[in-house]
Formats: sequence, C-alpha cells, structure tokens
Amino acid sequence: MSSLKKTSILIMATTVAAALSVSVAAAMGDKPSASASGMSQVGPTPAMAGTFAKAPEAAIPPLAPLGEPPIPPDNPMSKAKIELGKLLFFDPRLGGDASVSCATCHDPEQGWSWAEDISRGYPGTVHWRSNQSIINTAYYSKLFWAGSVPSLEAQAPSAAKGGVAGNGENDLMEARLRLIPEYVKRFNEAFGEPWPTINNAWKALAAFERTLVQRDTPLDKYLLGDSSALTEQQVSGKALFEGKARCILCHNGALATNENYYNIGVPRAGRWLEDGLAQITFRFEYYAKGATEELYRTVKDDVGLYFRNKNKWDKGKFRVPSLRYIGYTEPYMRQGQFYTLEEVIDFYDRGGFDEEGNTTSYPKTKTPLITKLNLSDEEKEDLLAFLEAFTGEKIMMAKPRLPGYKPLFTLAELEAAQAAK
Amino acid sequence: MAGIMTTRPFMNKRGFLVTALGMGLILANPVAIAGDDIGPLATLKVNKARAELGKRLFFDKRLSGDAAISCGTCHKPEYGFANPDALSEGYPGNKHFRNAPSVINAAHKTVWMHDGRIGTNLNDVTRGMITESYIMNMDMRIMQERLKQDSLYVKMFKDAGLGEPSNGGARKAIPEYLKTLNSEGAPFDDGQMSASAKHGLELFKGKAGCIACHNGPMFTDGQPYNTGVKENFDVFLDPARHQAFIGYADFMGIVNYMNLKRDPGAHIQKHKADGSDIGKFITPSLRELKYTAPYMHNGMIKTLPEVVAFYNRGGDNDRNKDIRMKPLDLSKQEQKDLVAFLLALSGKPLTSSRHVWTEAYPKEYEVIANWLDVPN
Ligand code: HEC
Ligand code: HEC
Ligand code: HEC
Ligand code: HEC
Repeated sequence: MSSLKKTSILIMATTVAAALSVSVAAAMGDKPSASASGMSQVGPTPAMAGTFAKAPEAAIPPLAPLGEPPIPPDNPMSKAKIELGKLLFFDPRLGGDASVSCATCHDPEQGWSWAEDISRGYPGTVHWRSNQSIINTAYYSKLFWAGSVPSLEAQAPSAAKGGVAGNGENDLMEARLRLIPEYVKRFNEAFGEPWPTINNAWKALAAFERTLVQRDTPLDKYLLGDSSALTEQQVSGKALFEGKARCILCHNGALATNENYYNIGVPRAGRWLEDGLAQITFRFEYYAKGATEELYRTVKDDVGLYFRNKNKWDKGKFRVPSLRYIGYTEPYMRQGQFYTLEEVIDFYDRGGFDEEGNTTSYPKTKTPLITKLNLSDEEKEDLLAFLEAFTGEKIMMAKPRLPGYKPLFTLAELEAAQAAK
Repeated sequence: MAGIMTTRPFMNKRGFLVTALGMGLILANPVAIAGDDIGPLATLKVNKARAELGKRLFFDKRLSGDAAISCGTCHKPEYGFANPDALSEGYPGNKHFRNAPSVINAAHKTVWMHDGRIGTNLNDVTRGMITESYIMNMDMRIMQERLKQDSLYVKMFKDAGLGEPSNGGARKAIPEYLKTLNSEGAPFDDGQMSASAKHGLELFKGKAGCIACHNGPMFTDGQPYNTGVKENFDVFLDPARHQAFIGYADFMGIVNYMNLKRDPGAHIQKHKADGSDIGKFITPSLRELKYTAPYMHNGMIKTLPEVVAFYNRGGDNDRNKDIRMKPLDLSKQEQKDLVAFLLALSGKPLTSSRHVWTEAYPKEYEVIANWLDVPN
C-alpha cells in the first residue's frame, strides 16, 4: 500500500519531467541527457516559472504528508532484521580498523549526520562531501549527493568499504561477524542461514534505516488537517515556498524533493583551498572515479552528476535533497557551504550567489529556474519559519550494547586436531 | 622469471598478485644437495636515490589506511627487521596469524611468504603488504595522493627518476631499499668463525643433514616442507587473529575455511586433494637468526637451542612430515656447535640511519597554497 503511494508520486513527477524537460534543455542551449525522464534538468519551463505567481498545482506534485516508506520485495522487514541492523549500524567492526561505525559519522546527536562542512572521514582522512542524514533516506530512489546508488542495500557496502568512509573489506568484515556468537544467532534468526554473510549485513542495515523516518512534523500534521500545527507566519512562508520563492519547483511532493538533478549555483568549497588533507581526498575522488587524465589534472570543483554519465551539460548538478529534518542537519549543501538556513535563503534570494557574489564553477549548466527572488526581510523570515515546519522532534537513540567476540573453537578441540595431524 | 611461472597467477580485489607455484619454479631452483654452494651473498646493484626514497616510505605510517602503522612497525630494525612477537601484530582492529619474517636479504629470494604464495618479485610483495586488509589496509589511490601532498616526496620521487609520486613508483622504491638490507659482517661470510661454529658447519652439512633444505647463500632452497611444527593455538583462540586467518583462508580458496583448525601453509598453492601438502612451509633463510627470535612460521619455538633440540628429536608429530625429519642423535656439545654455527650467520645490526629513516615525518599535510592555479 505504502509503496504504491510512493510509486504514484514518482510517476507523476516523471511524467511532468518528461513533458517539460526538452523545452527546458532547449532554453538552456544544452543537450538533454539521454534519459530525459528523471535524470536531467526538469521542472516547469522558465516561461512557466515567469508566470508563476500562484502555486503550480497543475504541474508539480504538492507538498504532502509522508506515507510509510516503500519496502523492497526482496528485503522484507522483520523485527529480528531491524534489531540486527541497529546493532550493525553502531558496530565499528564493520569497517577497516574497527574504530568507525556508521553511527560515528551519522551521529544521532548531530541529526544522524556530521556537523562539519565536509564530513569527517575514515581515520587518517577527511571526506570530500558534507554528511547526509539517515533520517528519511528510506524514501529516496537515489542516494548520495550525486544520486549514484539506487537503494539502501546498495549504499551500505559503498559506505562500509569506501577508502575515506569505512575502508573495510568484505571477507574480513564477514569473518568478524562470524566470530561474534550473538550475531551468528541473530543473522540466523533474521535470514535463516547458518553463518552471517556480508550481503545479509547490508540488508539488515537497510531494514534498520527504513525505520528511521519522521512522519509527524508540524507540516505533516498541518497537511493532515490540523490547521493549528503551523503558525500564521509559517502559513505565509508556505505560500512563498509554493509561490514567489519557487522552492516547490524542486522541493515538492511528500519528501520535498523531485529527486532530479540541478546546478543551483552553489560555489566551490573554501576548504579545498586551505586544508592539505582535503586536497588529498579531492584528488583521490577523481582518481578513484576514473576521471580522464585531463579532468584529473584540471578539475577544481565537484562535478556531481557528471561523474556518472560524463555529459558535459551535467557538470555541477546534484540531486535535490529532501528538506525534512533539516533543523538538525546543518551545515547545508554538498560541501556544507552554508551553516544556517538564513544563509541558504539569502543564497536563493540572490539567485544562486553567496554573500561575496560567488556562484557555481560551471555557470553554463546552472539552471534558469534559480533567479533573483527579491524577497523582503519579512518574507525571508516567513520562509525560514516555514522551513522549520519540515522538522519534528529530534530522533535520539542510545548506542546499543554491542555483542562480544568469542573464540570459535575450544582448546580441547584444537588439541584434538593437533593430535590427529 | 615470468617465463617459468607455469601456474595461475591471479589478483585479489586489491591487486594482490597471488601465484600458485608450479613445477616450473621448482626446476628453476634446483635443490642443491652438495652443499658447496653456501657462501657469501652476491652484491646487489642499488640505485641510491630510489633506495633512499624507499627507506623513507618503509618507515612512513601514512602508507597504511588509518596512518597508524608502517612496514617498520612489524619489521623492526632492532629485531633484524622481524618481530619479537610469536605472531605478528596486524592492522589496527586485527592481528596477524603468522610470524613476521625478517626482510634482511629478502631481495636475494625468489619466493616469499611462509606459504610461498608470491613467486614473482618484491614489487608484488610490497603491494600485498600495503593493500592487504589485515596488514596495512591501504587504498593505494589514497596513498598516492598522500605522497603527492608531501613536498619532500615530490622531490625524492623526481630525484629518483620516478616522476611525480605514484603507487607504481613507491612499489619500485621500496624493493630498491630492501636491496640495501643485506647481512653485513657475519663471521661466516668474513671467515671469522669460532672453532665451535666451524664444527657446527660440519654437522650442518653432514650428520645433522640441515643442508638438504637450508642451502645456497641464503641457506634456503625456497621449497616447502612439512617439519611438524606445532600449531600456535593463539591463531584460533584470539578472534582478532582468527578473523584475519578466516579472511585469508577464504580468499585462498580453502573450502572448509570456517572449520579449519591448522595453518594450511603451502597447501594453498596446489590444494592437493589428499591434503598431503597441508602444513608445508617454505624453508626460511638462516641468516640474522640472532635478532629474529622466536622462530618458525608461527613463532612456536623460542630459542635456537630449542630449534636444534626440535630437529634432534626429528621434529614434532605430523603424518605428512618430510622423511628427512628423523632423530639425529646429536650430543649436547654437537647441539651447541650447531647453534654456534647458526649464530655465525648473523651480521651486525642494521639499525643506524644508513638503514633506518630517522628524520621526523611531518605531523600534518602541507597545503598547496596556490591550489587553484596549479594542475592537480
Ligand atoms: C566516514 C564517515 C562516514 C561513515 C563511516 C559512513 N558514512 Fe554514510 N555518508 C557519509 C557522507 C560524507 C555521505 C555523503 C557522501 C556523498 O554523497 O558522496 C554519506 C551518505 C550516506 C547515505 C546517503 C544519504 C542520502 O541522502 O542520499 C546513506 C544512506 C549512508 N551514508 C549510510 C551509511 C551507512 C549505512 C554507513 C555504515 C555502513 C555509513 N553511512 C557510514 C559519511 C559516512
Ligand atoms: C532548481 C531546483 C531547486 C529550487 C527551485 C530550490 N532548490 Fe533547494 N536545493 C536544490 C538542490 C539541487 C540542492 C543541493 C545543491 C548542492 O548541494 O549543490 C538544494 C539544496 C537545498 C537546501 C540544503 C539541504 C541540505 O540538506 O543541505 C535547502 C535548505 C534548500 N535547498 C532550500 C530551498 C529553498 C528554501 C528554496 C526556495 C527558496 C529552494 N531550495 C529552491 C534544488 C532546488
Ligand atoms: C602488520 C604487520 C606487517 C606490516 C605492517 C608489514 N608486514 Fe611484511 N610481513 C608481515 C608478515 C606477518 C609476513 C609473513 C606473511 C605470511 O607469510 O603470510 C610478512 C612478509 C613480508 C615479506 C616476505 C618475507 C619473506 O622472506 O618471505 C616482505 C618482503 C615484507 N613483508 C615486506 C614488507 C614491506 C615492504 C612492508 C611495508 C610496505 C611490510 N612488509 C609491512 C607483517 C607485516
Ligand atoms: C626437510 C627440510 C629441512 C631440513 C632437513 C631442515 N630444515 Fe630447518 N626449516 C625447514 C622448514 C620448512 C622450516 C620452516 C618451518 C616452519 O616455519 O614451520 C625450517 C625452519 C628452521 C629454522 C627457523 C628459522 C626462522 O627464521 O624461523 C631454523 C633455525 C632451522 N630450520 C634450522 C635447521 C637446522 C639447524 C637443521 C638441521 C638440524 C634444519 N633446519 C633442517 C626445513 C628444513
């Protein structure tokens, strides 16, 4: 049921996308990317955006209360699996040197995220992108800033294995799980197999992540009919969001994202100019992602979607993130370029420029949907107040007690094997 | 070398070249029985600039994933570039399941690791050490970028004719450095042996029969044998070691790796169906033993007198033990003489700055100040 709902929202968005993407691309003087539906620049045409004083109900999925997350048929939920996934999420043994767990970087205290501009990395490294919250990732159909993986099941291994994240290796992580009797028992209960396997670990993690959702924000309550859930100011902000400020063009539907890719003008991260460790990871990311020699030598910013399809018109485009739970997930944008929502609003108000007038390194691909908004101070405050309605109570979770290792064989068994040599 | 590798070399996920040694290699290293081929080591030609670079890399912790350990952490100069622990430490979060061997004279070998799984060159050994998840767990692409961030490396790679820092260059420089680690001033090489040691040499070649396997200038024939060394149960009783062992055995294609209660050794090369190759280990060199206790692939024998006593009783129990392993009937004095001879194969410690990088490494990575203006 819930998955049907999710699907219908997506179908709606992609239909709109398919209908409009060609003209948008034409307006930009850019070739549309191969899969026009979903993958490329979509949204109402600039012409439409111009006449956009009122809410665009006709074309855009409206903001909606969040339903239940979709559950993939090949990884059904069960209590045993979710509880196991929770332990694994907090267990640093799912990483190279057994010091960093998913929860180390996605810290519940920090919005299930990491509150620095660029995320902390594996020990001895720093990451190259801002950390993303785990809350509501259950609803995305593409994960990471550049939308590079399609499911939580597929995301977990890249998190646990990536050189600047978990830096773990499958064989070894699997072996660790097998030497923890409590895990042997729990994997068996959850999956009915004799030994823990690393693939089942990813499934359990995904199942746990699907429980980390927030569906009772003030906005959800309001949209479900409780008109007192938003203040008057927030209601004004909502109108701006859906109207003059045009946020709804991209941040729409129940998740407040159409999951399409845009270059909205976010400037290069300052960190790369002043931090040697960050410069190392920057080059590594390009090297590891198989950049051409020329790109590797010359690139000085995050090319985003371009990594995936090598279409030059996709340089600097990123997946639209959800606005849910952003009350706890500062800083914002792919390298944490902005520390406050005020700064974000000012950035949009200037048409995609920061305080110093900096904008994207790839101006050719910047979306025409982002233009000066001319918001008054009061309107900015209203919009800010409304953005707060996307966030409910802080979701906290204490680190569970992790089960310990135990030798697999007894001394007597080993002595018997020795004697039989 | 490549021409005589008859069997299937393959790469693991992290580019670890694994070679199953075939008959070809055995033929290439004819077993010397006569014993008159023992003698000083050949002198190796060394590219100084590369070796110097390799020395800096060998002791640099930034070559491991979390920048916590270097080659020198396990291969310690003061212990003959081996390790005083029976079983080696491992990458943080893991421990190893074998003894860390000396790397002195490693450049004179043609087969490496206790199970002989690498038969190509030290470039491949170096890659294996750096990338193996329970050894240094380093993504070499990150390593390369770390090296490029260090201006002294940029200069040293250039001076060594290796261009800009790269993982390929690092894997050339470290083996070049290993070529500088040779026995120096061993009484055997210098003709300075005591009377007891000289008598020991006679026993070694004669009554004790050691020369059958320990021959050539390195005192090894590079072949695997089962001598019946007891298992080190810590491999299985310490989960931090057992996990690494399981990962290894799984990767090496041992089918019942979860149930394995002994080190398969060179069995991983040919996987003989009857298991008769289980428990064979490559004959180690006998040079520098003075510094490298404890002994054997798993450090189960603590001292040289105990090693000799082990051989004197014909080794320990194993149904597939080599036929040459039989009681020797050596007297107390003969055993002492044999030990004296073994010690005469050890040279001076290689612990000065000639062999050890003694300068401090930078605590932080430099910033490339004009980052926007220079090519990456
Ligand atoms: C070293 C820090 C670190 C660790 C450890 C880490 N992550 Fe992440 N995670 C990040 C960063 C940074 C991103 C964004 C990366 C990007 O887009 O390139 C991210 C992104 C994600 C996303 C995508 C969210 C979205 O909105 O698309 C999910 C899901 C996730 N991580 C789950 C996990 C899981 C599960 C683990 C443990 C197996 C884990 N992470 C371990 C830093 C970390
Ligand atoms: C053209 C599509 C588009 C429009 C219109 C748009 N956004 Fe965004 N928004 C994005 C994309 C894409 C990103 C991520 C960009 C990046 O990191 O480079 C983003 C990021 C954000 C973020 C940061 C989220 C996070 O987790 O870091 C906030 C907050 C945000 N937008 C709010 C707004 C508001 C408020 C408006 C209206 C004033 C708006 N957006 C209009 C596409 C859009
Ligand atoms: C965590 C400890 C550890 C670290 C770090 C380490 N080694 Fe080793 N090394 C070992 C162990 C243990 C073995 C034997 C492994 C086996 O037989 O399976 C070994 C084997 C070797 C051998 C083969 C010796 C022989 O005679 O067969 C060489 C050469 C070597 N290491 C060089 C290096 C170099 C170079 C580095 C750094 C790039 C390095 N090691 C880092 C533990 C370590
Ligand atoms: C059949 C071949 C063979 C014969 C004969 C033999 N060895 Fe060995 N030796 C080996 C092998 C194989 C090992 C390694 C065993 C292991 O690691 O478990 C070894 C290990 C050693 C070691 C330990 C070296 C180290 O670094 O750990 C010493 C010392 C040694 N032998 C001395 C001798 C002496 C002395 C004799 C004669 C009494 C002798 N060996 C006879 C094959 C042989």
